[in-house]
Amino acid sequence: MNGDRRASVGFTFAGRAVEARAGDTVAMALWRLGERTLRHSSRDGAPRAVFCNMGVCYECLCRVDGAVVRACTTLVQDGMRVEPGGRP
Amino acid sequence: MNGASVVDADVGVVGAGPGGLAAAARLAAGGLSVVVLDEGAGAGGQIFRQLPPGAARPAADHEPPSHASGHALLAAFAASGATLQPLATVWDARPGRLWFEQHGASRLLRCRRIVLATGAHDRCLPFPGWTLPGVLTAGALQVMVRGFAVPPGRRALVAGSGPLLLPTVTALRQAGVQVVAALEASPRRRLWRALPGVLGHAGRRREALWYARQLWRAGVRLQWGCTVFACEGDGRVERAVIGRVDAEGRPRRDTARTIEVDVVGAGFGLVPSIELGLHLGCAARFDAGRGGHCLVVDADQRTTVDGVHAVGEACGIGGAEVAAAEGEAAAAAILRDLRGGPAPAGAAQRAAAERRAADRLLGAFAPLPGLAELATPETIVCRCEDVTLHQARAAAGLHGTSLRAIKVGCRAGMGPCQGRICGPFLQALAGGEPGRPMDLPVVRVPLKPVRTDTLLQAPPG
Ligand SMILES: Cc1cc2nc3c(=O)[nH]c(=O)nc-3n(C[C@H](O)[C@H](O)[C@H](O)COP(=O)(O)OP(=O)(O)OC[C@H]3O[C@@H](n4cnc5c(N)ncnc54)[C@H](O)[C@@H]3O)c2cc1C
Ligand code: FES
Repeated sequence: MNGDRRASVGFTFAGRAVEARAGDTVAMALWRLGERTLRHSSRDGAPRAVFCNMGVCYECLCRVDGAVVRACTTLVQDGMRVEPGGRP
Repeated sequence: MNGASVVDADVGVVGAGPGGLAAAARLAAGGLSVVVLDEGAGAGGQIFRQLPPGAARPAADHEPPSHASGHALLAAFAASGATLQPLATVWDARPGRLWFEQHGASRLLRCRRIVLATGAHDRCLPFPGWTLPGVLTAGALQVMVRGFAVPPGRRALVAGSGPLLLPTVTALRQAGVQVVAALEASPRRRLWRALPGVLGHAGRRREALWYARQLWRAGVRLQWGCTVFACEGDGRVERAVIGRVDAEGRPRRDTARTIEVDVVGAGFGLVPSIELGLHLGCAARFDAGRGGHCLVVDADQRTTVDGVHAVGEACGIGGAEVAAAEGEAAAAAILRDLRGGPAPAGAAQRAAAERRAADRLLGAFAPLPGLAELATPETIVCRCEDVTLHQARAAAGLHGTSLRAIKVGCRAGMGPCQGRICGPFLQALAGGEPGRPMDLPVVRVPLKPVRTDTLLQAPPG
């Protein structure tokens, strides 16, 4: 992005190497990349994505290095392994 | 102090929005040690959200006039000596003790007084297709643009009710998004009811004029008495069905039409975030005009629990001016308690005056009951547990109309969000007959899901 002076951060999403900017949350880094779907419904497998973007709804649950976290409240870090989410 | 698992302070403040910042700055200036815990990465709360350091600002970076007071508040806080602990999620508490998770570590703040400034979140209503990727709360789109400079999409629909639709539209415009439609569900005559609350308050008058000018410049017209009926698309939102509602908010299906959009922001007002207060044992009461259940406080912002104060949206939706004034009032009372000295001059009165002015404005946007009819029997009402309206109704029929009965019957509201999203809708479903008090939200520890290690390694307090 133009004028962005932030360090670049590398992480993987569903096994794919992607790049982000330090200070972005996992959810926002993935949104920038056009990745909307962060998990699938346990009932019908329908895709789910960021909904409240402020840590309230838990629609953005992902697995980061094995732990289930909210993608919208978790900052990206170099070397993070992010997997689309299940449930806690 | 930064790394220790146990932190001590005179006052622990939860929430770094205008309410928490105003309280903390005044308390620290008065000579008390203050630690502010916030889940976010920086100070500012919902309204004065800051971009990450070094991030590019959006092309058009205009701020409404109210944000000048935000900068002043942030500067006063920075100069006051109060400490901010960012990325700190409070998950358990009792008077004088706040347990939080920060950078994966389990920590405890011990303090003599607690100030709750936990703010509010969007009031959500279920409608067909609201679980599709690309359909978000109005607040979520603001966070995206103002907190991260991420463009939400290309063509947006904004729908819902209340003053917060305006900053949502301007945030989208700043990010270069075309706002295809901006729909306010309330009938236009509510504008006339809200007008005295706007015109009678200098700050709000300036703010409203600023937003009116922004919308006019962008060529976006707020359409009254209209809302979103449904969202459609294959794996993400591609279309929205919109139309008129009657004065009670009931959809008039004969007016439905379809527009092409790739992002939708829906927000039907705000709901006070009171879970932490409820867990501490603070009394709450239902006030529809203030967004739902609010923490009960006296003129000095004391809750019903000793040593626990509450300020801002947690005491009822009122906006940033109310939050800051109540933060000052709480600080004045705490300073008097802990340091003695003369009674503070006028802080409680100023807070009460701001609150009255806000009530006049927001009372005009009380929730429209008919909007509950947007959901069809197949619509998911509880997103965490994937419960449909049909299932929730069946549970209410079988187990009795109370929030608890619906939860037991179909697990609605039992998921990780603890009913923060589906709560207002389920409360109305359970409430049924008018006049019956709304069921209080049910809270459980951890208040926000944290790592198992955080629970196991919680410092004893
Ligand atoms: C998305 C959004 C956008 C808004 N935009 C505007 C606007 O443009 N103009 C306007 O006038 N009003 C706006 N509002 C209304 C706004 O709530 C108030 O104006 C003002 O921010 C209220 O201040 P506050 O101090 O009560 O709470 P907030 O500013 O909401 O601050 C509460 C803080 O508490 C923190 N918190 C809550 N629970 C916990 C916990 N358990 N652990 C740790 N931290 C916690 C949150 O992270 C948050 O930062 C907006 C509200 C929302 C939700
Ligand atoms: S999007 Fe709601 S918790 Fe992350």
